[in-house]
Amino acid sequence: MREHYKEVFKKVLLYIFYLTGSAFMLLPFFWMISTAFKPDNQIFTVPIRWIPSPVYFKNFVKAFEVIPVVKYMFNTVIIAVLKIGGEVFVSALVAYGFARFNFKFKNILFIILLATMMLPYEVTMIPTFIMWSWLGLTDSYVPLILPAYFGAVSFIFFLRMYFSTFPKGTEEAMVIDGANYFQIFYKLILPLSKPALVTIGLWAFLGTWNDLLGQLIYINDPAKYTIQLGLASFSNLTGETLWGPLMAASFIALIPVIFILLFAQKYFVEGIKMMGIKG
Amino acid sequence: MKKITGIVFIFIVCAVLSLTGCSNAGSRKNTFTFATWAAGVELQEFNEIINRVNQNADGKYKIEVLSVPSDYYIKLSTNIAAKKAPDFFWLTQELISKYAKMGAIADITDKLESSSNLTREQYYPGVLQSAIYEERCYGLPWIANPLIVFYNQDLFDEAGIPYPSPDGGWTWEEFIDIAKRLTTTKEDAFGNNYKQYGYVVDGWPNIETFIWAGGGDIIAENGVDVLLDSQESISGLAILNKILKAGISPSYSEVSSLGSNNVWFEKQRAAMFMGGIQDNFETKVNAMPENEQFRIGYAPMPVGLDNRSHSFNWTASTVMSKQVADNPLAYEIMETITLEFFKWKIAPPIKGEIDQVAKINPLKAPALDTIQICLNNARSANYVPEWNEINNSLWLKLYSKMLNDPDFDYESEAKAIAREARELIAKRK
Amino acid sequence: MKKSKVGFLFILPWLTGLVLFTVIPIIAALFISMTDWSIIGDANFIGLENFKAIFEDQMFYKTLLITVRYAIFAIPLTIFTALLVAISLNNQYKGTGVFRTIFYMPSIVSGVAVAIVFKWILDPNYGVLNSLLGILGITGPNWLYDPDWVLPSYLIMAIWGASGGLYIYLAALKDIPKELYESATIDGAGLIHRIRYITLPMLTPILFYNMVIGIISAFRKFTDAYILGGAGEEGIFYMVYLYGQAFSFYKMGYATALAWILFVIIFSLTLIVNYTKKYWVYSE
Repeated sequence: MREHYKEVFKKVLLYIFYLTGSAFMLLPFFWMISTAFKPDNQIFTVPIRWIPSPVYFKNFVKAFEVIPVVKYMFNTVIIAVLKIGGEVFVSALVAYGFARFNFKFKNILFIILLATMMLPYEVTMIPTFIMWSWLGLTDSYVPLILPAYFGAVSFIFFLRMYFSTFPKGTEEAMVIDGANYFQIFYKLILPLSKPALVTIGLWAFLGTWNDLLGQLIYINDPAKYTIQLGLASFSNLTGETLWGPLMAASFIALIPVIFILLFAQKYFVEGIKMMGIKG
Repeated sequence: MKKITGIVFIFIVCAVLSLTGCSNAGSRKNTFTFATWAAGVELQEFNEIINRVNQNADGKYKIEVLSVPSDYYIKLSTNIAAKKAPDFFWLTQELISKYAKMGAIADITDKLESSSNLTREQYYPGVLQSAIYEERCYGLPWIANPLIVFYNQDLFDEAGIPYPSPDGGWTWEEFIDIAKRLTTTKEDAFGNNYKQYGYVVDGWPNIETFIWAGGGDIIAENGVDVLLDSQESISGLAILNKILKAGISPSYSEVSSLGSNNVWFEKQRAAMFMGGIQDNFETKVNAMPENEQFRIGYAPMPVGLDNRSHSFNWTASTVMSKQVADNPLAYEIMETITLEFFKWKIAPPIKGEIDQVAKINPLKAPALDTIQICLNNARSANYVPEWNEINNSLWLKLYSKMLNDPDFDYESEAKAIAREARELIAKRK
Repeated sequence: MKKSKVGFLFILPWLTGLVLFTVIPIIAALFISMTDWSIIGDANFIGLENFKAIFEDQMFYKTLLITVRYAIFAIPLTIFTALLVAISLNNQYKGTGVFRTIFYMPSIVSGVAVAIVFKWILDPNYGVLNSLLGILGITGPNWLYDPDWVLPSYLIMAIWGASGGLYIYLAALKDIPKELYESATIDGAGLIHRIRYITLPMLTPILFYNMVIGIISAFRKFTDAYILGGAGEEGIFYMVYLYGQAFSFYKMGYATALAWILFVIIFSLTLIVNYTKKYWVYSE
């Protein structure tokens, strides 16, 4: 009997933790959504009014007048789609090499890889831009997409750690069968790593969706703008911001991301269920 | 290994080659880029202007717009570094001296002197001064937005205070006095008490406004002497200190709780506000529900200890990249577009165009006479290439500390920053 | 093909990318740190003068101290928070999927949005946090305006965003063989005991990874620090200082030198952590 109460008590505690944590996590989102539906003079009121009354839809109309919201989101999706495949797959390739093989200079190269994560990008930003401008590729998506096909350093670092937790004999069976390592990678390692790959894929998508500076530097033509550049259009140099429409646009911009998150979450769970070989 | 060294070598060769070539094309082309920080709705208006100019040019030249919606100066300077500077771009006044010194923008003094479409004399002197560095002119200001005092006539009536004259003449002492009488506790519709202030200061107006009120300045007109620690400048800071000690403004941390300083005036929590003539309070009040509306009055900036009224002027100029300085069409384009800008924003920085203000925003009509006075009194600080560093210190070490602590020893700090400024200027090569 | 050659082939894409895109900018950055380049002007070689100036620069020490203090608290806090959340969500109870998504949500917003919203949340007079504290009868501090409360303000934001690694932890937790837990339970081990002797040791590779990532991101903290600042000079992080030198003062040479020093610091710390790896990180 006491065991049962203990179980229930633990569960209740757990749910209290979930609920308070969720409230804290979601607080900024509540404010964002609430502001999106308020007219200007109700936004910074004292005390805060959480539920706008009446509900004001004009911010959304105004948002679309300021920037073509859907078009910019579409542009961003294009960049993201072109990047993710490369980033995830190539990073996995490289990570596998570092994790499961030994070759000359391996340690030094890996240290170099880590080192490139440590130098602030602000100092290489301009030389990199100069390089791309020599190639005549500024005002295009190429500088944003092409490097993805050579792997992303932080993903490589993560996947290397992940692959190194596989037991030593994982590849053995297939090696004996005469498979080459690329086949092993493709047919065995990748499927085993679904949760990790989904996580990386999510990060890759978020990285593109939220990248302001990179897109700002390399894109000139407003027709090519991404959603972050669009959202930046709601405040000007002197700091004046159209809060209502900005929150409305940000809210719309958040919707695809939430969908991707739910999608990733589903895949993640499925991937977990498939883990049998590793225990 | 060999293959990799080879690739690196090729890149370095290309690097050297590119740095040397291709800058001669600037003097012969007829398509130009114009960079702006305008985005969203402002960009749409900007594009209309450029389209008009392109149409009138009738094939003689074509201008393309480069809009930078965020981090304007990062993108601008990056492009300049890559030798891809836009041909024309906007610069706010504090940066003109730096860009001029670094050789990024063209000296247009002679072109300005010899033109009859837009002359030196047409400009309000205080405004054109902002584009001048070491006596040479580097840009065409396209706007003048000097400070004006907005006040809430309803609250004045309530307190029985006569309005300040729209022609000015009131001193800072009188201003502070009036603000004190307007600072009271009131009750709102729910029976809660709230404080009404006479004034709002939270870092705006800028510290120059107060230093000038004492008859001082930060840097002298010659761009070398530092005046920050002069007797006059310190008296100016004393005026600011008096305001902060008098409790006539909400505290620094309190101001942002309503979003920004102008909201205090809009919500009638502050009776007077020093803003640019461009600030669209009239439009906002018009859009309010009737019981929240109030009547707006205007007055020029109070007169300082030097018997003059100083209106800090926010302005920006169009400048020309050095790369395109030899192009015969360049100055003509710059001039034409600038003249178009005069019809766009409040206020045009040239004399005799005051009616344009009412044309752009009819709600500003009652303010025209006062606006004229402010334009006549418009001035900026003397910007030197080291300005950003000096200004940064002025904010971090002086102004923000004064805002947080009315007993802060501003005199010693001003002297310390003056020393720092002298060292910086001495290092100028 | 020899196994080691195969390994090299696998990493070749990254290596090629390194040569094509990264090597030249890095060499350029090295060169720039020894000049007085202003981005829009010429670059004049000045040798190690920038580095000499850095060691005499008060703001260098000040901002470095602020950043180090932040790192010391933020790194363990975020790791602990993420771990706690992951362990608590490592079950199949009703609604766990929803809660997992909710706890991950902070990581999907851009740094700019986070900063803007927290500016309001932490507002001392009318922000949510102080309002809630007010209900409990506590007068909230001046958060971002009070020098003593700037660090806690940023730590609150760090905790809020800590669940970025949630899914990594969850994946790793799932990898722990169930039999280990089962036999431990049979032997009478309680929850805390199981976490301490099974979960944590099996998670050490992830903890190591998060520690390295934590060091790098704490020292490179930028976006929200740039927008929010805090209490004048007390809220300037190293990267914010660097950024100001580069883009507000047009002292790119000096800023690049600052970046190299930061690099050396981060690199050394990582090497130290890496050295201790063999003592506490579990590997097959």
